[in-house]
Amino acid sequence: MSQRIRILTMLTLLLILVVGAGATRAQDSDLSVALIIAQGGLGDRSYNDSAFAGLTLAAQEFGVDVVPIESSDPVGEGEQLLRAAAEAGFDLVITLEFSHFDPLARVAPDYPETLFSIVNIVVEGPNIVSIMFDEHTGSYLAGALSAMVTTDAAVPNTNEDVVLGAIGGVQSSGIDVFLDGYIQGACAINPDISVLVAYSNGFGDPATGRELALAMHESGADVVYQIAGGTGQGVIEAAKDTGFWAVGVDSDQDYLAPGFVLTSMLKRVDIAVYDLIGRLVAGELEGGTVAQYGLAENGVGISDMTYSRHVVPRAYTDRVNELREGIIAGDISVIDTRVISEEQRTAFYSNRTCAGIQDLMSSMGS
Amino acid sequence: METLDLIVNIAASTLRLATPLILAAMAGLLSLQVGQVNIGLEGMMLAGSFAVVAFGFWLGSTWMGVLAAILVGVALAALFAFVVTRLKANLIVSGLALNLLASGGTAYLLEILFNTSGTFSPTALQSLPNLSLPVLSDLPLVGRLLFNHSPLVYVSWLAIPLTALFLYRTIPGIHIQAIGQNEEAARSVGIPVRRRQYLALMIGGALCGLAGAHLAVGDLALFREDMTAGRGFIALAAVYFAAGRPRLSALACLLFGLFEALQFRLQLASSIPPQFFQMLPYVMVVITLAVISARKEWRKGWS
Repeated sequence: MSQRIRILTMLTLLLILVVGAGATRAQDSDLSVALIIAQGGLGDRSYNDSAFAGLTLAAQEFGVDVVPIESSDPVGEGEQLLRAAAEAGFDLVITLEFSHFDPLARVAPDYPETLFSIVNIVVEGPNIVSIMFDEHTGSYLAGALSAMVTTDAAVPNTNEDVVLGAIGGVQSSGIDVFLDGYIQGACAINPDISVLVAYSNGFGDPATGRELALAMHESGADVVYQIAGGTGQGVIEAAKDTGFWAVGVDSDQDYLAPGFVLTSMLKRVDIAVYDLIGRLVAGELEGGTVAQYGLAENGVGISDMTYSRHVVPRAYTDRVNELREGIIAGDISVIDTRVISEEQRTAFYSNRTCAGIQDLMSSMGS
Repeated sequence: METLDLIVNIAASTLRLATPLILAAMAGLLSLQVGQVNIGLEGMMLAGSFAVVAFGFWLGSTWMGVLAAILVGVALAALFAFVVTRLKANLIVSGLALNLLASGGTAYLLEILFNTSGTFSPTALQSLPNLSLPVLSDLPLVGRLLFNHSPLVYVSWLAIPLTALFLYRTIPGIHIQAIGQNEEAARSVGIPVRRRQYLALMIGGALCGLAGAHLAVGDLALFREDMTAGRGFIALAAVYFAAGRPRLSALACLLFGLFEALQFRLQLASSIPPQFFQMLPYVMVVITLAVISARKEWRKGWS
């Protein structure tokens, strides 16, 4: 068995060398950074590519050696990948793969000289930096914009119902944080609004996404937020075919159906990766910390609305900017439903409305 | 009026959701009837989805893409038939291999042919235009329910009686049933067993190609990795519960579509955990078909 691991490690190292030979070389820093690519791989035009863009930019700006590590099975080979990267002597090993939280907790103590970083989950350890995003605040802005648009008959693709929709891939705290932020933003603008919520039970089924979005549209929703990966592509197609608004997620999806995607909630992994390397170079990066990327850091936010800004009144985007400033200043608090208690969660999810949000807020004493 | 509207919406959604299932179920029952159950329906569908998008894009015509999807389905079915009849490979292993080949193969081709991963949605590709008949399509409710669907929806309706007709009223169809019941006996009376097996499986391949094409360009215009999302297996389950009968298999698919359409709307109207509703289609199909076959058994017992 150990023989096999050794061979695997050697093969991985060889791969790193081959890939590394093509990577950017610069002289002004002798630091090196490895980026382990998550499922979906490079070329996904979303999460992985975004992180890689940040990595490339950091290599140019700071002159560090950077190496992306791709694997055909990043989930199954988690431990080998992390070990191989640490053995190869990188100063910072960033993994984009969420499922590496378990192997990372095992591997990191064996390499105290190496800094590790993981995205979307907090892993404890003196040499681990966890990168987290405030998906709830970014979604809050998208919800606020949607709520303003749905009652404005002058905006195309809207109806008279004060109803929005949100579709999640599966019900989990990582998905619900988007949905709950969206509901909070919508309720902040219009406490009488209702936000329909449904789950497609998967991230790769656009046909189901389409039917689910149509069902929401039939129930009066004219803006539908999708947090459902490939299933969400069907939501956007339904919006285009039937004439309502979709809201994209993670990357700027406005171009997928120009004029039918109101905006996209951006999660800027590129900024996080770039920033992380910048702090490494400056000698400020410390393990055992959580790097939180929110509105202030431009880690989350809404897209530039390239194809919708001309039909959405300026006053609405100004209002969204005010809300953004308010959240950054701390005047507006948005609840992160990942960190509420079990009782609060049960109470809120049995009444996921504006009134439910009010109850949740008062139970949290804010 | 509003209730009527809702019913029509649910019914129309049911028909759209059931279409790929019905097409795949007809393929599945042909393979069951000929005694070579093909669990690779899923893979043939997925290959069809990929082919319709790729060829539709290259040839600039979605209909040519549909033709390509049928051909790809037939080719994969022929490969499956060769492996299980000539090479006598295990049915389950071969079907699984077909699914893996399609899943990995389409992802790989996506990468090398179109330099993308995940989703491929070329803007030049059009979805198949919905049926538009003078007068009929414009009827208030009936038009929306019956005369305003993507063309392959109607193909799936035709496929049901045609499959029944083929199986029960034509010589090759009756041969296929005979082979399924006892291959050796069928061979001994001079039925060209291998030819009929190829025929049944390859018709199935064409149907799966159509099912995959409907998923990709029926209402959408894109390919997504593993976009069939288990529909091949649901269709196969429908076939088994219906004991290989065409009309009953189609009914099971429609039931599944109905409860799927219902559960989407129930999720919106209630705060019960969504997992409960997502489970409904599966549970209801099992219950309904169990009741149907139980009634059949009782009747047999009484007479």
